[in-house]
Amino acid sequence: MSRREIVIEPITRLEGHGKIHIFLNEKGDVERAYLQVPELRGFEKFVVGRPAEEMPQITSRICGVCPTAHHMAATKALDDMYQVEPPLAAKKIRELIYCAFMFEDHALHFYFLGGPDFVVGPTAPRAERNILGVLARVGLEIGREVIGVRKQLRDLIARVGGKVIHPVFGLPGGITKALAPADREAFLAGADRAVEFALFSLKLFKGIVLENPQYMEWIRSETYTHRTYYMGLVDERNRVNFYDGWLRVVDPNGREFLRFPARDYLRHIAEHVEPWSYIKFCYLRDVGWKGFTDGPESGVYSVAPLARLNAAEGMATPRAQEAYEQFYATLGGKPVHHTLANHWARLIEMLYAAERMQELARDPEILDPHVRNLPTAIPRAGIGVVEAPRGTLIHHYETDERGLVTRANLIVATQNNAARIAMSVDKAARSVIRGGVVDDGILNLVEMAFRAYDPCNACGTHALPGQMPLLIRIYNPRAELVRELRRD
Amino acid sequence: MAILILGLGNDLLSDDRIGLLAARALRALLQGQEGIEIVESAGSGLALLDLMAGYERAIVIDAIQTGQVPPGTILEWRVREPLPVRAPSPHFTGLPELLAVAQALQIPFPEEIHIYAVEVTDPYTLGREITPAVRRALPELMRRIQAQLQAWQVSPEGA
Repeated sequence: MSRREIVIEPITRLEGHGKIHIFLNEKGDVERAYLQVPELRGFEKFVVGRPAEEMPQITSRICGVCPTAHHMAATKALDDMYQVEPPLAAKKIRELIYCAFMFEDHALHFYFLGGPDFVVGPTAPRAERNILGVLARVGLEIGREVIGVRKQLRDLIARVGGKVIHPVFGLPGGITKALAPADREAFLAGADRAVEFALFSLKLFKGIVLENPQYMEWIRSETYTHRTYYMGLVDERNRVNFYDGWLRVVDPNGREFLRFPARDYLRHIAEHVEPWSYIKFCYLRDVGWKGFTDGPESGVYSVAPLARLNAAEGMATPRAQEAYEQFYATLGGKPVHHTLANHWARLIEMLYAAERMQELARDPEILDPHVRNLPTAIPRAGIGVVEAPRGTLIHHYETDERGLVTRANLIVATQNNAARIAMSVDKAARSVIRGGVVDDGILNLVEMAFRAYDPCNACGTHALPGQMPLLIRIYNPRAELVRELRRD
Repeated sequence: MAILILGLGNDLLSDDRIGLLAARALRALLQGQEGIEIVESAGSGLALLDLMAGYERAIVIDAIQTGQVPPGTILEWRVREPLPVRAPSPHFTGLPELLAVAQALQIPFPEEIHIYAVEVTDPYTLGREITPAVRRALPELMRRIQAQLQAWQVSPEGA
């Protein structure tokens, strides 16, 4: 076949990691671009036969990137399995810790992983498109604050929940220990600092991105736009919630399409398999799989910050709500279909997480020493859901009557997003690569399409590179390597 | 606190556990030793900045998969200043940036970092079993690290 292939390896690490393959035709235009992500092998085999109570510890060790999300989803699956409702204080402490985690993870992405794209700029010289370039642009004071506020929150999570890497506080029906008044004071201080930092970050984004016509053109461009369905957790008033609620799906016109409790997920979410990828592509069963295409007839949906804002009717805290309104006013109403708007949505969620921490820490009920209801039901099956930083995360376990796991299924955020991410990579490649011209800046425009989702290929590998290097291989029509570009 | 020994790896991922096992073995050996702290972590990227800040020297132990050397081979790097360390492991891809960030932000960071990475066979399958070739590297790994500690004049014998 007369074509050549370009491979972008977003992670330098090892064989089998995330790669973008771009196939060019004779004219040098893109025939098709694929994203491949690694597979987590042996999870089911590993957990079958183990006590369900171990799942919050085991699943949180799958990945060093978002242990808190797995720990929380697993703990909630155990609540469901033992049909035990945690006391209010326990729920609030869980959510408090969870909001701290969401904040620090989002801050990391905005400044250090996604930052090089927008803060520094996609077409800046590649030597500057890294963490140091971000620091040079925002100033060392801000750099120190990013490190400082994240460290403070991570220390708080560790203080109440055990090590950030291996949280141990979640139990079926509650948590291991009540919140001490001193811990509450520490959380209040951390929350105040986080609110200030989130507000500052939104201001920074306004100055650097919103007031830059070129950036706004990229955000709004068709290259980075898909009109899909969106899913996210909402509270009883359809406002964004990270810890609990109903899964709400809106259609590409922003109308409510579904609203269901997590335990019904199998009725609404199905998985499609492609021969070229390990990942199973989630789609809406009620719409059906129509291929990698958008519009109301296609069951492709999206999760993560932009999707959460689209799937909700607002934010539950005042300043985040203001930012939410400004977001839609600026980008032309709901829903926003521009993938790159995820960066802005992430900052609005950071502000919400920080304000929600303030609310929870101020709530007198959070000091109630009663933080666990003992489970008495015979275990059978449990399903738990949270919004991980990268989108909806569902844990589903089945056990025998002794509580030993017989089956486990995890739907991770990047899987929910997989179809749309694949479409984004393909569309961006088609749009920016013409006549075989492929340089570093052009490839970065392709990479930006998937980095906006903050996709985590780390679930099997605890890999989190500080930046995303590229390996590009270009082959002639006889599949001989003619050129290799490397960016570290 | 002068010296950090940092074992990296995922405790559920077969050969990827080697750094953690080495850290545990060293903890038993170096019990009561002043001036050495032993930490295990599954973290990477910026998390390592938090872990490593404030020490004068650091030993980092990890799994690596280069595909260029037989499994069980111990690879070493010595980092004295921000250098492009091109190690194909997730924990190290970020290290040059970490050093540069620490320097830029004036965060106290180890002046000397010795990295010991064991070439592994399978860091991708969930399991607690380590492949034999990798396990056999453990005594030599311990010997080299103890020699290094001795060179830094803090041998386990308490010199």
